[in-house]
Amino acid sequence: MWTGIVFLAVIVGSIAFHVFTPWWWTDIASNWGAMDDTIILTFWIGGGVFILVCLFMVYCIFKFSYKENRKAEYKPEDKKLETRLTWITALGVAALLAPGLLVWNEYIRVPPNAINIEVMAWQWGWKYRLPGEDNKLGTSSVKNISDDNPFGINNDDPHGKDDILIESSELHLEKNRPVKILLRSIDVLHNFYVPQFRAKMDAVPGVITYYWFEPNKNGEYEVLCAEYCGVGHYAMRASVVVQDKKDYKKWLAQHKTFSNYLAEKFEQNSLKKAKIVKFNNLLSNEKSILKESN
Amino acid sequence: MLDDINKDKKHSSPRTKSSSISGGERDVDYVRPADIPDQELYHGHSFLTKWIFCQDAKVIGVQYTLTAVFTGVVGLILSWMMRMQLGFPELFPFLTAESYYQMVTMHGMIMVVYLLTALFLGGFGNYLIPLMVGARDMVFPYVNMVSFWMFFVAVVVLMASFFVPGGPTGAGWTLYPPQAIIEGTPGSGAGILLMLVSLSLFVIGFTMGGLNYVITILQARTRGMTLMRMPLTIWGIFTATVLALLAFPALFVSAIMMTLDKVLGTSFFMPVMMKAGELLAYDGGSPILFQHLFWFFGHPEVYIVALPAFGIVSDLISVHSRKNIFGYRMMVWAIVGIGALSFFVWAHHMYVSGMSPWFGFFFATTTLIIAVPTALKVYNWILTLWRGNIRINVVMLFCLGFIVTFVNGGITGIFLGNVIVDVPLSDTYFVIAHFHMVMGIAPLMVIFGAIYHWFPLITGRFLDEKLGKLHFWITFLGAYSIYFPMHYLGFIGVPRRYFEMYNSPYMPSTIGMNEFISIAVFVVGAAQFIFFFNVVKSIRLGKPSGKNPWKANSLEWLTPDVPPAHGNWGEKLPVVHRWAYDFSVPGAKEDYIPQTTPPSEVIEAEVEKT
Amino acid sequence: MTDPNLNKLPGGFKGMSTDIGSDQTAFKGVNWGKAMMWIFLLSDTFVFSCFLIAYMKVRASVVDDWPYPSEVFGLEVAGVPVPLLLIAIMTFVLITSSGTMALAVKYGYEKNRKLCGLFVLLTAIGGLTFVGMQAFEWSKLIFHDGVRPWGNPFGAPQFGAFFFMITGFHGTHVSIGVIFLFIFARKVYRGDFDTGRRGFFTTMKSDYVAIEILGLYWHFVDLVWVFIFAFFYLW
Ligand code: HEM
Ligand SMILES: [Cu+2]
Ligand SMILES: [Cu+2]
Repeated sequence: MWTGIVFLAVIVGSIAFHVFTPWWWTDIASNWGAMDDTIILTFWIGGGVFILVCLFMVYCIFKFSYKENRKAEYKPEDKKLETRLTWITALGVAALLAPGLLVWNEYIRVPPNAINIEVMAWQWGWKYRLPGEDNKLGTSSVKNISDDNPFGINNDDPHGKDDILIESSELHLEKNRPVKILLRSIDVLHNFYVPQFRAKMDAVPGVITYYWFEPNKNGEYEVLCAEYCGVGHYAMRASVVVQDKKDYKKWLAQHKTFSNYLAEKFEQNSLKKAKIVKFNNLLSNEKSILKESN
Repeated sequence: MLDDINKDKKHSSPRTKSSSISGGERDVDYVRPADIPDQELYHGHSFLTKWIFCQDAKVIGVQYTLTAVFTGVVGLILSWMMRMQLGFPELFPFLTAESYYQMVTMHGMIMVVYLLTALFLGGFGNYLIPLMVGARDMVFPYVNMVSFWMFFVAVVVLMASFFVPGGPTGAGWTLYPPQAIIEGTPGSGAGILLMLVSLSLFVIGFTMGGLNYVITILQARTRGMTLMRMPLTIWGIFTATVLALLAFPALFVSAIMMTLDKVLGTSFFMPVMMKAGELLAYDGGSPILFQHLFWFFGHPEVYIVALPAFGIVSDLISVHSRKNIFGYRMMVWAIVGIGALSFFVWAHHMYVSGMSPWFGFFFATTTLIIAVPTALKVYNWILTLWRGNIRINVVMLFCLGFIVTFVNGGITGIFLGNVIVDVPLSDTYFVIAHFHMVMGIAPLMVIFGAIYHWFPLITGRFLDEKLGKLHFWITFLGAYSIYFPMHYLGFIGVPRRYFEMYNSPYMPSTIGMNEFISIAVFVVGAAQFIFFFNVVKSIRLGKPSGKNPWKANSLEWLTPDVPPAHGNWGEKLPVVHRWAYDFSVPGAKEDYIPQTTPPSEVIEAEVEKT
Repeated sequence: MTDPNLNKLPGGFKGMSTDIGSDQTAFKGVNWGKAMMWIFLLSDTFVFSCFLIAYMKVRASVVDDWPYPSEVFGLEVAGVPVPLLLIAIMTFVLITSSGTMALAVKYGYEKNRKLCGLFVLLTAIGGLTFVGMQAFEWSKLIFHDGVRPWGNPFGAPQFGAFFFMITGFHGTHVSIGVIFLFIFARKVYRGDFDTGRRGFFTTMKSDYVAIEILGLYWHFVDLVWVFIFAFFYLW
């Protein structure tokens, strides 16, 4: 008797928890409301099945608990019932799958006006690269990475020269403009995940992966790494600031392009080089003096 | 000639006996004569050959069980420590991020492979297969014995990794490269190597045992035991073993390749990488290839754990509701169908891994298709309860607990299988909650139910019901309240494998829940010691059970000795006349008809043909 | 196996389904060990498939050039480079050993102790020759051509990695087979299968079926070699 009551309490408790829970998803800040909708749909259908199955079970506990003089029904199978249940289930599943696939289809097709933003992950942090006027990022390779070229951009790719390099972990995005996040990793797997945007994808060393979304709410959001990447995984945070076009442009202007960067480095280097040349000259002078004295 | 050897006493009944398949007047009790001669067994005489290097599948089953449970206790203690950190961060200074990740990894691997797989197939498989199909033992007892010792060595190697410099691997149980074998991950030296070696040994050992299980079921059944008369337990274990034999190769291969990457510096899975400003020597490998191999093993692995649980729980429900399992044939086809389909869904673990997004369509579809036969099994369980005569004992309680947790976890599986829903939820606590519910708690419920059910067979004594009920309620309610709320952490977006959330804006609302969950974990974990106490106590002091205490039909309860002796059946092998589910047959005197009862002894019973 | 009823069972597809639907054995008249070997080989097929699929995937996606097999695997005979010479001989030897194995099985059926033993021994020698030539090829690649698991002078580093791993794994299979062939040659000669002498480890009797089971394994190893040959040397 009380077995049934406790099981009933578990089910009622689950429903109550779901209805009154203070823990729920963050307010969405991107175009992916459809993801939330599919989840809600799944909750209705799946939750309904859960409740029905469990209530049926509880009913059986109440109704058919052991009695010495009762004999259970003998009924090995019931073809009609089984077929019917198969079809109903198949239908329910199809009702969940179809909208899911439609949204997925959207997820993998990036709108043409999206701005390409490279997110470069490393153990344990993030860097970003934005395209210049051409909205094209220069090709890159881990092998090119050096002090002078933190993103490993190919020097002979003209698209790379106007790329804007952001070496801080804070990324700004323009509100209502779709972004295509191009993910790179220079060491292990990572995953660029902002709960409010809902979307995510792994960054895989050796290949470039992508996803897209359209931020539609101003604010600052926390980036969490969502693929285990070693001891620093849990601390691999960053932030994304969504703002209006004007502020965004202001922020953008503060950052150097790759050619700025190269030029700066070149200056520093040539200073250094000049010193080295001087030093070498001194050395060879000394050497020749030594030789002569020999 | 064999005909004479195996002639059953029952055949000398007054009815005419026909000796060939066709022709002659048919005897209702007729069963085809034996195909093969009786099996010859090795009988150990010393302590060493009788209990240590024992070739009796029942002893091997117990050995497997004890070893697996030992690893399970280690896994449990690790989960305690993890929850100490998650519930009360900074309270325990010895819990560092390194050690946390090592504990997560070892916990996951131990629970999935060394506890559940070994327990269901090695433990229950060994004990029950020969008994339930009416064989004297596994077909190759010697190989079977070696199988256990391989497993034992694998466990020793695994445990040894706790003591090597650098500690055990902290790569996550998925062991994804490149991270698993390069610095930055704890235990990326000796730890990961020992893990890979241990897994390879496990696979080799398991293959030896698995071949035995399969051939025993296919080729060594007793007279009258057709495949469609086998208890569902055997169907579950059989299908799971076949899956294991076909899925473990992928794990084995990826373990070899990763070992070579680590030791010889090959680049199977290792792309060009830069660590601390230096290029590593690797070049051109594919990390995603590893993921495909791993999950080609990993997804069937889920069913390797689930299918035996499905089978066992079907039998327990049927016996304890005194009613045949509803839709037996459907159940068999569902088990086989799920098994076959499980090889076509692996990449649902990789929706956000960066593989070609087009795979998403295919794998979401196959994944949701699997939901159909799975749901049918659930319906059949509850329809078995319907109009049954349900004994609400500890065994049944665990079965009911299984149904609730399994349905719950199955539904959240539909969330994660539907590719677009997986995008926000993957790698969050929603996933943790889902798989603990469906492949952690649900199979554990079945394991406990099965132990309470078969303990009288193994020891001749009952486990204590009172303690059992206490154990059940704490475990079930506790585990449910651990994992049910945890889904909602996933909705918030808390990622899995996070050592701590720090000052994340999400944190404030989750502090309370995490503390509650942790306390529940300590209670549930401690409750398991009630169970251990119960077992130890009941072995010596439990109520003697006698033969067939549950009034079950299947062969394991019909041995001449309880507990069954080596060779199981004494002089003569049993002869099977019906399926294992003739409960409450109209017209029969008792509410059960054992499988060995010939039709002539229950003439009034209106048995449907199976 | 000696059951006279067996002969009366229907054959073909219908026979198969009635067999599977019947009691006791799903494969009528099939020895336990033989059935076990078949299932093991199925599992092993998955192992080799995983290796070869991984190889194909990496080879298809790798950026560096893949070494040109006819050059890498060529031998110079009297100053003339002959592509794939060694490998052709190796393959020939292995296939031949399959033939001798088949003869051993045949004589095993006939309980012809001497000839059966002889052919098992010949098979073992064939296998040993194969392993020897493989060792030669490996040492040529390693010491002469400078191919290493982690790199090589010809192109993609994965070439050496996959080559050594897969041929090594296959070679291990052959070596294990050779060991068993020698053991069983001895057993056959000694007449274990005629006198019913018990096995050292298992303490069980055995008979000529053991040779057939060993034969299954050996043919499988040959078959796998054909695939490896095609994928490494001809692609
Ligand atoms: C007493 C019950 C258990 C508790 C309290 C528990 C707790 C945990 C915790 C806290 C984590 C780490 C989550 C994270 O940081 O991301 C975890 C991970 C995991 N658990 Fe359990 N667990 C339990 C039983 C089981 C069982 C029975 C299984 C068998 C399927 C299991 C399988 C896993 C796996 C596969 C992981 C993932 C490891 C990884 O991320 O690499 N657990 N568990
Ligand atoms: Cu990470
Ligand atoms: Cu899966």
